Amino acid sequence: MMRPYRWLFPVWLLLAACSDAQHEQSQPDDVAGSGMLGALSGEAEAEGYARVTGPRDFDFPDDHGPHPDYRHEWWYVTGNLAADDGRRFGYQITFFRFNVSPDMGQRASPLAGNQVWMAHLALTDVDRERFLHEERLSRGSGLAGAAVEPFRVWLDDWRLSGGEGADPFPLRIQASADDFALDLELEARKPLVLQGDAGYSRKGDAPGNASFYYSWTRLAAAGELMLDGEEIAVSGTSWMDREWGTSTLSENQRGWDWFSIQLDDGRDIMFYHLRLDDGGIEPRSKGLLVDADGDSRLLSLDDVELESRRYWESPAGDARYPVAWRMILPGEGLELELEAQVDDQELRNGFRYWEGTIRVRGEGADGPVRGYGYAELTGYTTSD
Amino acid sequence: MSRLLQRAGWRYFRARPWQLGLSLLGVALGVAVVVAVDLANQSAGRAFALSSEALTGETTHQVLAGPSGLPADWYVALRRDHGFRQSAPVVEGTLESTLEPGRSLRVVGIDPLAEAGVRPIFGGLATGGGLGEFMADPDAVWMLAEDLARLGLAVEDPLPVTVQGAERELRVAGALRPESAMDVEGLRDVLIMDVAAAQELFERGDRLDRVDLILRDAAERDAVEALLPGDAQLLPSDQRRDTLADMTRAFRLNLTAFSLLALLVGAFLIYNTMTFSVVQRRPLIGQWRAIGVGRHQIMRLILGEAALIGLAGTIVGVLLGIGLAHLMLDLVSRTINDLYFVLSVRSVNLSPVSLILALLLGPVVSVLAAAVPALEATRIPPRAVLSDSHAEGAARRGMPRLLITGLVLLAGSGGLLLLPLGGLLPAFAALFLLILGAALLVPALLSWMMRPAGWLCGRLFGLPGRMAARGVRIGLSRTGIAAAALMVAVSAIIGVGSMVDSFRVTFADWLDVTLQSDLYVSVPGDSHLHPELVRDLRVLTGVAGSSTAFQTRASDGEQRHRLRVFELDATPDRAFSLLQGDAETVRTRFADDGLLITEPFANRQDLQPGDSIALRTPAGVRELDVLGVVQDYGSSEGAVIMARGLYSRYWDDERIGSVGLRRADGVSAEALEQAVRETVGDRQAVRLQSSEAVRELSLQVFDRTFTITHVLRLLATLVAVVGILSALTALGLERAREHAVLRAIGLTPAQLWRLVTLQNGLIGLAAGLLAVPLGIAMSAILTQVINQRSFGWSLSLQVSPALLLEAVLLALLAGLLAGLYPAWRASRQSPAMALREENG
Repeated sequence: MMRPYRWLFPVWLLLAACSDAQHEQSQPDDVAGSGMLGALSGEAEAEGYARVTGPRDFDFPDDHGPHPDYRHEWWYVTGNLAADDGRRFGYQITFFRFNVSPDMGQRASPLAGNQVWMAHLALTDVDRERFLHEERLSRGSGLAGAAVEPFRVWLDDWRLSGGEGADPFPLRIQASADDFALDLELEARKPLVLQGDAGYSRKGDAPGNASFYYSWTRLAAAGELMLDGEEIAVSGTSWMDREWGTSTLSENQRGWDWFSIQLDDGRDIMFYHLRLDDGGIEPRSKGLLVDADGDSRLLSLDDVELESRRYWESPAGDARYPVAWRMILPGEGLELELEAQVDDQELRNGFRYWEGTIRVRGEGADGPVRGYGYAELTGYTTSD
Repeated sequence: MSRLLQRAGWRYFRARPWQLGLSLLGVALGVAVVVAVDLANQSAGRAFALSSEALTGETTHQVLAGPSGLPADWYVALRRDHGFRQSAPVVEGTLESTLEPGRSLRVVGIDPLAEAGVRPIFGGLATGGGLGEFMADPDAVWMLAEDLARLGLAVEDPLPVTVQGAERELRVAGALRPESAMDVEGLRDVLIMDVAAAQELFERGDRLDRVDLILRDAAERDAVEALLPGDAQLLPSDQRRDTLADMTRAFRLNLTAFSLLALLVGAFLIYNTMTFSVVQRRPLIGQWRAIGVGRHQIMRLILGEAALIGLAGTIVGVLLGIGLAHLMLDLVSRTINDLYFVLSVRSVNLSPVSLILALLLGPVVSVLAAAVPALEATRIPPRAVLSDSHAEGAARRGMPRLLITGLVLLAGSGGLLLLPLGGLLPAFAALFLLILGAALLVPALLSWMMRPAGWLCGRLFGLPGRMAARGVRIGLSRTGIAAAALMVAVSAIIGVGSMVDSFRVTFADWLDVTLQSDLYVSVPGDSHLHPELVRDLRVLTGVAGSSTAFQTRASDGEQRHRLRVFELDATPDRAFSLLQGDAETVRTRFADDGLLITEPFANRQDLQPGDSIALRTPAGVRELDVLGVVQDYGSSEGAVIMARGLYSRYWDDERIGSVGLRRADGVSAEALEQAVRETVGDRQAVRLQSSEAVRELSLQVFDRTFTITHVLRLLATLVAVVGILSALTALGLERAREHAVLRAIGLTPAQLWRLVTLQNGLIGLAAGLLAVPLGIAMSAILTQVINQRSFGWSLSLQVSPALLLEAVLLALLAGLLAGLYPAWRASRQSPAMALREENG
C-alpha cells in the first residue's frame, strides 16, 4: 500500500494542464458536472472502467504494457546522477496514461481513441542550482502509447525502450526538451518488488478503491545528458514505479509528502505522509524498506518519525514547501537528515507540485550512512 | 456679392424642386451602390482574413494532401519519429444544418492536445465540455456562443445536419467564447470537432487534409520537405491564404467597377442638371457679369452648387448604401461560396476609411461633372441678352468639336483594348472611355436623327409632329444632354443584361455538351462512391455506356491544381469542347499520355498545347504534356483533366465521385433509375440525377451565383430611370416659356400636350436607339475582355432582341412619362402667367 493518493495526482495534473491553457486563451463553456473533474472523479463516474478488486497474478512482460480499460496508469522514473567531474544531477521522466471515456464505442478512424497521455521530464542541475522541466500531452493513437516485446513507452519522441524479456531491462530513456536532453540506460540491481498485498494496493474501504502496484527500487543508470549544448557522461541510481487502477477521489486530503531513498549501505526506503485538511496525518500513511539483498518489509505510520525542518517559498507565490526533514526509523536503527539538493524543484505547469532530488545523511546502527533520493510534495499551493 | 449669388442660386433650385430632387436622387443612388459594394467587398475580405487568421493561428507552414491524401500514420511518424511536435492535424469539410438550410457550415476537425502552441484559440478546447467527450463522442461539436444563440441552440442540444446527402444528428457539446472579438468573427459558422470524428463524418478513412506546422528555420522546413509523401506539398501558411484571397480579387474588382458605372450614370445627372441651370440662367449670369461679377466667382458658384448637390446626395447615398450593403453582403458571400470557397460573412463592417472616401467621392464626381457647364458659364459675356436661338447657334457651332472629342475618346477606348496590355484596369478604362465618347456624340447624332423623324412625325401627326422633331433639334443644347444621360443609362441596362445573358447561354450550351450521360449517380458533398458499387452499376443491363468522374488536388511543387479524373464514355474530343489543340492528338494520347486543361487554367497559368505540367505523384515528379485546352465553366480557378488510366498509373486510388450512365436503346429512364436504385439498395446514400436535373440544378446555381449581377443591373436601371426622369423633366420645365408662347399664339392645351409628349417621346426613342449600339459595345467589352481577364472564361456574345426592344421601350416610356408633368403643367397654365413667371 504505497503512494495511495498519488492516484489522483495525474488527474489533477491533467485537469490543470488543460484548464491552464483555457485560462490563457479562451473561455469555453463550463458545463456543470461534465468537465474533466466531473469526468474523472466521483464514484459514479468510475462506472464503465475496469476496477481493481483483489490480487491478481501478474503476467510479465504483458503487465509492463498498458491496461487501457483502467482509468489511470503510469511509468514513473526518478534518479540521481553524477558526472565524471563530480557534478550532480537529478532527473524525472514520467509517462501517465488516462482513459478519458470508458464507454466509447467502435470507431472507424485510426485517430479515434479514449486514451490521453501526459509526460513530465525534469532535470536538476545541483551545482548550478537549476531546475528545468517540460510537460507534454497527446492522444494515444500511435502518437503516444506503451507496448511490450520489445518493451516501450512513448509520447511523441520521448521514449522508454527496453528488451524483449520478462523484464524491461536494459531500459533506455531518450527524451529531449527545448534546453536539455537525456539519454540513459538502466539496469536492475534488485528484482522488482510487488507493493501492498502481492501488488494489490488497497486505497480505501470501498471495493475497487485500489491499484496494482510494483516497483524497481534500485536501478543502475548510465548515459549522457545534453545541457547548455554540452554532452555530459553521467552515472548513478534510479527508481521506477508502475501502477494502474481506477480509484476515486477522497475529499479530506490536502496533499502528500513522499520520499524514495537509496542509501549507500544498499537499503532503499519509500515512505509517505498523507496530510489531511485538518492538519493531521492519515493513519494509512505507510512505507516500505528494501534490504540490500532485495528482501522488503512494510513500514507503518508508527514505524517512522518524520519532521519538517526548513521551508522554502515558491517564487511563483502562494506556496511554501518543506525542503529539509528529519526521518527516524527506530526499528531500523536509522536517523536520517533529508534535504533538497536544490530548493526550487517545483514543476510549475498548470498543476504545481514539487518533485526533486534530495541528499540524505545520517547514522545507522553500524555507523554513518549517506545516500540520495527523491521527494514529491503536493498540496502546498494555497490557491488550490 | 457672393452671398447674393448664393441666394440667387438657392432660389433658382428652390423653384425647380423636381429637377433638384431627381439630381439628388441620382447622386444618392450612384453613391449608394458604390458604398454598398465597397462595404460588402471589404466585409467579405475582412471576414476572410479573420477566419484564416483565427484558423491559422501561429502556424507558419502547412502540409497539404495530394490526391493520395495524408495518411494519419505520416503525421504520427512526423511527431514520434522525427520530433516535429508543433504540428496539428486538420480534417475539414462543409455541411448544412437543417436549422438553417442553404447556409454552409465549415467543419474543422482538430486534435485539441496538438493545438496548444499552434492555434491559441483551440488551446483551451479540451476543458469545459470535457476532453473525454471531445475525443470519444463522434457527434460532439463545439461552436461559437453567438452562432448557438442565432440557431436557438443550447449546449447539449442536438444539431441536425445534412452531410454528404445523409441526415445526421450532431450534438452541441460546448460553446466557444474566444476573448478577442477578432477570433469571434473568425470562427463564425465554424463547427469544431475532434479530428477523428471529422474523418468519420466525411468518410475519409485514415486520411488528413493537412497538417499545420510551426517551423522555425529553413533546416526544419527542408527536413519536413524530405519527409513528404510523393504528392503532398509544404507551403507557407500565408502563401495559401494569399492564393485564396487572389482567387476572389478579380470578382471583387468587377463589382467595384460595376458600382462605379452606377456612379457614372449619377454623374451624368449632375452634368445634366448643372448644364440646364447654366443654360437657363444665361441672362442672369450675363447681368451679373455686367455688374462686375468675375469669371472666377461664376465658376465658383456653379461648382459650389454642384458640390452641394453632390454632398447632399452623397449623405443620403451613404446612408442608403449602408442599408443596401447588407443585401449586397449576402450576395457577395453567396457568390464567393459558390465560385471559390466557403466563407461566412454575417456583419457589415463599417470601415471609416470607406465611408470617408465615399463622402468625398460624391462631391468630387459632382464637381468634375459640373466642370464643363461651369466653364461654359464663365464664357457668357456681360449683359448677355442672347436669345435662346443664339445660344443654340453656339451649341451647334460647338458640335463639331464635341463630335471630334467623342470620336477621339472612342478611338482611345478601342486602342486600349487593342494594345497588348492585359489586366483589368485598361479594360475598365476602355469601357469608361467608350461611354464618355458615345455621350459626346449624342447631340450630333440626335440632330441628324431628327430630320427623318420630323418627316415621319409630320406624316403621322401633322404639324405638332413636325414641330416636335424640329423642337428637339432647335433645343439641342438641352435635349442633347438629356438624350445623352438617357442613352448612358439605357446602355448600361443593355450592356450588363447582355453580359449576363451571354454568360448564361454559353454556360447552358456547355452543359449540353458536357452532360452526355442520362443518369448521374453521385455522393453529395466531398465523399466518394464505394468502388464495388461503381463496378456493379456500370455493368447493369440497360446501361449502354458509362463514365466516371473524380476531383482532387495535385501539386506542381508550388501550386495545388484542381485535378479532374475522368473515365470517358465517348472519345475525349467529343466529351469536351476543344478550344485549342489537335483533336487527333487528343484522341490518341489522352487515355494514357497527356493532359487536358480548362480554359481558365490555361489563361491563369499561361499554358497552351505543347507545354507541359509537372505534377507530384507518389512515384515522384512527372512531366505531363498539355494536349489541349477545353471549354469549361465549372471553376474560375481552372482545372487539369486527366484520364483515369493515366491517373491509376501514378496513384493507387480507386475513389470515384460520380458515375454517369447512358441508357441502352429501348430502356426507359424510369427503368434505368429503378435498376440503379435496386443495385444501390442501402449500400450507400447516393444521389440520382437525370442529366436534365443536373442541367437544371447547375443553372440554378449559376443564377444564384450571379444574382449580384442581376441586382447591379436592377440598380443601374433604377439610376437610369431616375436619370431619364430628371433629364426630361428638367427639359420640359425649362421650356415652359416656349410652351407659353405656343399657347399664346393659339395652340390648344390638347395640341400643346401632344406636342410636348411627342417631343419627349422622340428624345426617349432616340436615346433608346442610340443606346443599342453603345450597349452592345459595352457588353462586348464586358464579355470578351473583362470577363475573360477576370475569370478566364470566354463567352459567346449574346444580344437578345427582346432585351434591346425592352431597353428602347423603356427609354420611350420613360420619355413619355417624364413629359407628363411638364406637359400637363404647360397645358394648364395660363400663357400670360407662364410668360410673366419666366421673366420674373
